[in-house]
Amino acid sequence: MNDEESQNIPDAEFLGQAGAKVEGRTRLEAAYGSSDGDEQTIPSASVAGGTKQHEQAHLGTVFDQSYQPWGGSLNPRWARNWAILRHHVYGLFSKGHRPYGMATKLILFAAFLISLGDLGMSFISAIFSETEMHRVFGISKDNLYGHVLGFWPRNAICFPIIAALLIGGIISEDRMHGTSAIYFSRPLNRIDYTAMKFLSVAIVLFMLIVGTLGIYYTGDILMQGEGWAFFLDTFPIFLAAALAGTILVFTYSSIGLALSSVSRGKFFPAVALLGIFLGMKLIAFLIYTLFERSVLYLLSPYDCVAHVGQALVGTTSTYDHPWTWSLMSLVVINAIALYILASRVSSMEVTRE
Amino acid sequence: MSDQFVIETNDLVKSYGPHIALDSLSLKVKAGATGLLGPNGAGKSTMIKTLLGLIGVTSGEGKVLGFNIRTEGENIRSKIGYLPEYDCLNPGLDAIHQVAYSGELIGMNPTSAMQRAHEVLEYVGLRDQRYRKIETFSTGMVQATKLACSIIHDPELLITDEPSNGLDSRAREFMLKTLQQIVGEGGRSLLMASHLMDDVEKVCDRIVMLHKGRLIAQGRIEDLKSIDQEIEIHVWGHASELERELQNSGYEVRRTGRVMRVVRQDESTYAAIIESAAKSGAQLRRMNDHEPSLEDLFLVIMERLGYSVKSSAELFHFGPSSSKVDAPSELKEVGR
Repeated sequence: MNDEESQNIPDAEFLGQAGAKVEGRTRLEAAYGSSDGDEQTIPSASVAGGTKQHEQAHLGTVFDQSYQPWGGSLNPRWARNWAILRHHVYGLFSKGHRPYGMATKLILFAAFLISLGDLGMSFISAIFSETEMHRVFGISKDNLYGHVLGFWPRNAICFPIIAALLIGGIISEDRMHGTSAIYFSRPLNRIDYTAMKFLSVAIVLFMLIVGTLGIYYTGDILMQGEGWAFFLDTFPIFLAAALAGTILVFTYSSIGLALSSVSRGKFFPAVALLGIFLGMKLIAFLIYTLFERSVLYLLSPYDCVAHVGQALVGTTSTYDHPWTWSLMSLVVINAIALYILASRVSSMEVTRE
Repeated sequence: MSDQFVIETNDLVKSYGPHIALDSLSLKVKAGATGLLGPNGAGKSTMIKTLLGLIGVTSGEGKVLGFNIRTEGENIRSKIGYLPEYDCLNPGLDAIHQVAYSGELIGMNPTSAMQRAHEVLEYVGLRDQRYRKIETFSTGMVQATKLACSIIHDPELLITDEPSNGLDSRAREFMLKTLQQIVGEGGRSLLMASHLMDDVEKVCDRIVMLHKGRLIAQGRIEDLKSIDQEIEIHVWGHASELERELQNSGYEVRRTGRVMRVVRQDESTYAAIIESAAKSGAQLRRMNDHEPSLEDLFLVIMERLGYSVKSSAELFHFGPSSSKVDAPSELKEVGR
């Protein structure tokens, strides 16, 4: 295009402005300009019969920023702790609290149903008056122990997986997302923070393990129409099984939280937790099979709890070493886990993580 | 200690083994907006943690809002709002619940925390985005949400750590305007740690400057800036000769290319510059009193400490190694 041709280009309307030349530079500005592009095109209201000022009035500004003071009072320590507990537990059931993945919620529901499998079988035996079936699935020392500490399927695929899914990210995600700054810049101390995190996962595990034990025990008595004498006979065994279940919950929670506190994501603590529970069990089992030595079970947290549980409930022991050794091992394992948890939480930062 | 200061420390020392993070820090921060300045490793983060009552001090004493930093950390944190520099939000939560939860953690009951969360999110410009998940937010929106979390309980003192970090110009303007309004309209105090001098100058009327754990300047920006009045001249030709001539006449000169700044001694400085220019054959294209910025103040202070620094960015953006450079021993006492 030569100079003569370029001069002959007629004036055109551009962006609503009659007479404005459509030039390459203007096009470029319209297409890639660094400004917001609204300089010439902000819609303007035309007010009938209004003044010129009204005709030029721009639309769209409704945001009036003004600081509002707050005169409420703050609740004491228990309310802050309750907020943490509520946030973590309610997150499993409703929106607006700690977000858990859908898979976690579904697996938890499935585990809850599996945990009530013995109650279902007892129900069937009650409907069909199957005494032989009830003898297998009804209340007994072995079944109360088995409901809490039986290896397959509960402690092989249910409880450890739930513990891994629940606990995996409970502290590590605070490190990953930096949310520890939100906690520790508030009037919370680290003991409360750790205790509430511990309690929130322990409550869910408790409901799953000991809660279903209670449902099974109560349900079976009601369905079979057992009397007070049966209740009085079996209640101490139920309490012993509940105590063993509580020890299991405590151990899963302390080891899980310790692993969560040393990492920045939920994958490592979850896998490590399964590795410790199932891996140690497998190694101890292989050693026992090969050399007939059960001492290595002292390194397996599940087996230590199971051994102590057998002693508490009064079922036949499946281990060669004394149960007090398992109890001591359990104390040591939990002490180490809690020490790691405490030292790692105390190192969590507010200014940078 | 007096009650007229929101923050007051007296010979505060915090050391990690042999490393002294805060060295005999004696601060007096009045109500209003105060900027906290200092290069990497200056001790800003340690100071914030100390003021929040999160870490014990080695020696000395301090008060924040009248509460002792050694023994009343929880009281301090319930009166303070803290906006961290780094991410601190749960990306899976929506903004309204994140802000409400941060209020509950301070001790607000859930209903009033939720009500207040709506108010503060509207205040920071996120009214229409409050039910969106934080993971979908832009940097500016995340920063605004962090601000909402820190002001939900209407704190008496707001501590912000690099509040405009990573924001585009529009979001930055909004953030600074909001902070200004919290101080001006809300009557709250602000301690703003930032490496952006312009931001600090826009929002704060006072500064506290730290270097290697020591306090090197504190006070009103205007007062501090008046310590050195300079005359700026634009020179054409023979600039080096003019610079030499002025220095020989006993004037302090800072030069960047053909722009020079001469420290004004008195009224006669103008005549001396013209005379020196005539002697050296340099053309003076322009001469005016220089209005110093906070950046200039920072450079002057760093020069006095014996550092050759061309801009604050040079110090602030360098890694920790920049703070390992020791000032000449004869100048070490200047900052005290």
